[in-house]
Amino acid sequence: MPIEVKKLTHVYMPGTPFEARALNEVSLSIRDGEFIGIIGHTGSGKSTLISHLNGLEHSEPGTVFVNGVDLGGKGTDLIAIRRVVGLVFQYPEYQLFEETVARDVAFGPTNLGLDGEEIQRRVETALKQVGLNPAEVSEKSPFELSGGQKRRVAIAGVLAMQPAILILDEPAAGLDPAGRREMFELIRGIHDSGVTVVMVSHSMDDVGRLCNRLFVLNRGEIAYSGTPEEVFVHENKLHAIGLDVPECAKLARRLREAGFDIPEGIYRTEDVCAAIVGNLSGEGDAKC
Amino acid sequence: MLKNITLGQYFPGDSFIHRLDPRTKLLATVALIAIVFVAQGFSGFLLIAAFVLACAISTGIHLKFLVRGLKPIMFIIIFTFVLNLFFQTEGKELVHWGFIRITDQGLRMASFMAVRLILLVVSSQLLTLTTSPIALTDGLEALFRPLEVIHFPAHEIAMMMSIALRFIPTLMDEADKIMKAQKARGANFETGNLIQRAKAMVPLLVPLFVGAFRRAEDLALAMDARCYRGGAGRTRMKQLKFGTIDVIAAVVMALLLAGVIALNRLNLF
Repeated sequence: MPIEVKKLTHVYMPGTPFEARALNEVSLSIRDGEFIGIIGHTGSGKSTLISHLNGLEHSEPGTVFVNGVDLGGKGTDLIAIRRVVGLVFQYPEYQLFEETVARDVAFGPTNLGLDGEEIQRRVETALKQVGLNPAEVSEKSPFELSGGQKRRVAIAGVLAMQPAILILDEPAAGLDPAGRREMFELIRGIHDSGVTVVMVSHSMDDVGRLCNRLFVLNRGEIAYSGTPEEVFVHENKLHAIGLDVPECAKLARRLREAGFDIPEGIYRTEDVCAAIVGNLSGEGDAKC
Repeated sequence: MLKNITLGQYFPGDSFIHRLDPRTKLLATVALIAIVFVAQGFSGFLLIAAFVLACAISTGIHLKFLVRGLKPIMFIIIFTFVLNLFFQTEGKELVHWGFIRITDQGLRMASFMAVRLILLVVSSQLLTLTTSPIALTDGLEALFRPLEVIHFPAHEIAMMMSIALRFIPTLMDEADKIMKAQKARGANFETGNLIQRAKAMVPLLVPLFVGAFRRAEDLALAMDARCYRGGAGRTRMKQLKFGTIDVIAAVVMALLLAGVIALNRLNLF
């Protein structure tokens, strides 16, 4: 289910003094099985962009195609698109509303018109996928869970629709370091199960570690795109638009500038570590 | 859908009207409403309409926002127009078709009422479009302050109003977000019969209420943390002050009233 975005422009409140251009001729494509990172400063258009990807927003001119279907076209079945493209908003725990966790997770599948048994099965699978024990939490009220658990339930609510593409807007926002780690492990697991993942973040460390391709948004336009190596080369320019590169990429650059033999474009902790050890022992393949 | 509400929306600017003291604007609006009721003929309305139009143009706000603000009450205007048209039976007959009788007096009355309603809405809109909600509540508080002698809680009411006004955009944003999130889960807010639609609102309203209570609690805590304890002995950073422009505004309003009364006496049309 590839996604193709062509010259997408979005203007908020056109014709008023509050007019704001959130996206300006953005084009990008996402292939099956990718783990995409969308990075940008606050207000760069990240959230608007992902709302377009499953037809929650649409605007002229510009088009979004999911699996070849034009989302702006007349007669396009948006419900069918939304079962394929799952979208988890920022702070998704604030959308929980049902009396029990199981019923909240079942909201999506129920809207898809599935039968009771299938819904039941999906709810259990989804809860397990996010690392919750269905037997333990199913009958609890979502409001008595902890913050991190609530967020997992909300993500399960989207996973229960079994999307082929999962889009997450800042999934780790507001979580403590341990919670962040767990959340990213969880998302990595979802990606490993064959789901295409698009993750919005402003943390370069996180997207660098997880994603195979990045899109950097600045003022509604794509400033840089490519693999993390290709993007992190532009350290100074990224700084200029309020972004950063992973800490290890900075360390690598400074060592290289100081005359050490560190290859360009490395940013993963393991790679940088190996390069340093290689310099110390004179062997390129030394272990950290 | 939630973005098309202009009633009560503030447009920043630096025109004469924008710079008036909020108390002046409130009183002027009340005076304008009174003047609309004083006018007894279309000549008076013409003068008021010209005045309101001049005010609107001077603010630099696009006229289409004034027109857009009329939309929500269009139904009421048409309803009163039709009602007056059909039930006023005195005067010369213009149309007689079955039980429907339209007279010249009826037509006049109906148009009179419709114009009066439009003028009332447009002039009060001029107030909200040019006054920030904070200035508006400050003005109201100052105007109601004398009533504190009879234990009217002017400060508390103004505080409640400014908090409510402050949170309308926030809650609208939040409603929009939750709506999108539930739509992404396949929720359908647009189709179905009345009962289905009402049911479809539950996934929107529950999180919205939970969010509103959470915000209220946070706000109360934040106010407490900054030692808020009501209006007694409270001073302000921005003192309201009447200036020359407020005197000019008062004179203009008086002239408008005099003009309308004069036109009533002349009884032109």
